[in-house]
Amino acid sequence: MKIVLDRPRCEGHGLCEEAAPELMHLDDEGELVLDREELGDADLAAAGAAVRVCPVAALRLA
Amino acid sequence: MSAPIGRVVVVGNGIAGLTAAHQLRECGFDGELTVVGDEPYPAYSRPALSKALLLDGVDRSAHELAPATHGAVELLGVRARGLDAERRLVTLDDGVVLPYDGLVIATGARARRLSGLPEEHTLRGLDDALALRERLAGRPSVVVAGGGPLGMEIASACLAAGCAVTLVSQGVPLAGHLGPYLAEVFVKAALDRGLTIAETGAGRIERGAGGVRVVLEDGAVVEAELLVSAAGDVPNTEWLAGAGLAAGGVVRVDGRGLARPGVAAVGDLAAFPTPYGLRRVPLWNSAIEQAKVAAAALVRGDEAPPLRFQPYFWTEQFGLSLKAAGYLPVRGEPEYVEGEPGGPGLMRWSREGGSGTAVALNHRVPIPRLRRVSRAAA
Repeated sequence: MKIVLDRPRCEGHGLCEEAAPELMHLDDEGELVLDREELGDADLAAAGAAVRVCPVAALRLA
Repeated sequence: MSAPIGRVVVVGNGIAGLTAAHQLRECGFDGELTVVGDEPYPAYSRPALSKALLLDGVDRSAHELAPATHGAVELLGVRARGLDAERRLVTLDDGVVLPYDGLVIATGARARRLSGLPEEHTLRGLDDALALRERLAGRPSVVVAGGGPLGMEIASACLAAGCAVTLVSQGVPLAGHLGPYLAEVFVKAALDRGLTIAETGAGRIERGAGGVRVVLEDGAVVEAELLVSAAGDVPNTEWLAGAGLAAGGVVRVDGRGLARPGVAAVGDLAAFPTPYGLRRVPLWNSAIEQAKVAAAALVRGDEAPPLRFQPYFWTEQFGLSLKAAGYLPVRGEPEYVEGEPGGPGLMRWSREGGSGTAVALNHRVPIPRLRRVSRAAA
């Protein structure tokens, strides 16, 4: 599994970073940076939470 | 420790119900899960309805969320009619009766209406937004009744669609929600873009020639082809009347989102403990945080951690984008952490003995940083 970002949709809220700080963060400009796109089994819960907290559905698991 | 639960029914398929269903699975609940939703659609993002989705030319999927992965039986397009909390039964409009061991009440709220007229439009659900978007394509003159964030977002979208718009507001728009300082910033932006604002104490909606009219307190009349009201929400608690779970139009819950053992209430209809007492906080992240805590409490009982919650609010209107961490409204002048009055900025307000509030205006500041700034202000 990996996380896919639809960048034009991202509004930079950062709720995903709160849900999965080990997988992603917003940089100084408020742009989302995926620190790890390829996910291990141990990451799936946090990644799923990050995907689901986004109010503009800018993230998905593929 | 509570007894293991075999069947959970989630009533409500907004973001609160959806999150609760997912979180039940995350917490290891592998029993029978049923989600009931009164709309025929999968759960969607309600904040998008009054923002991107209303704008012409923007892609029509702005409200769509990732598909649910909770594997629940989904009963959509059907409403819950009654609850028997003693026998643990939910009755649906179509006569189906759902027994449960654990229940999540997440039926949200509906728009408060100001008249019985069919001409009065409201914006609460997806159908409302799509209907409004269609009406705006004809560029009708519009009167928006309600000066809160939703009314202002609707007015902004109507102006952007090329309509002449009058906003009728009790007091200064947004003052009650955001406080006077931020309200002034937004009102200026709205006036600059051509919004007409009519402040009134009370008003009356009537049918007019070719549309509707709002009669203001001083007798002045605002006429328009289209009326959209945005006068707050009413929690959908009527179906709980027989169960003694709704008092004063809300469902009161403890710090873990439980109204009683085995029964959680989350989202817009739940009043939960906050630093300012038992309150409803009908916001996106509020619904999500409540749902996560309550789902864990249903599975793990008292071992589950209680809600630790700070509101996050955002709005986009009249060319302004605001993000706020902490409780609103804020009183007095802010301290500017970045930027300066009149431009993009990061502000904070301190509160005696309470938590602080951080606000980013036309400034892309992610939530983790907003939260740090709000804590620094506390």
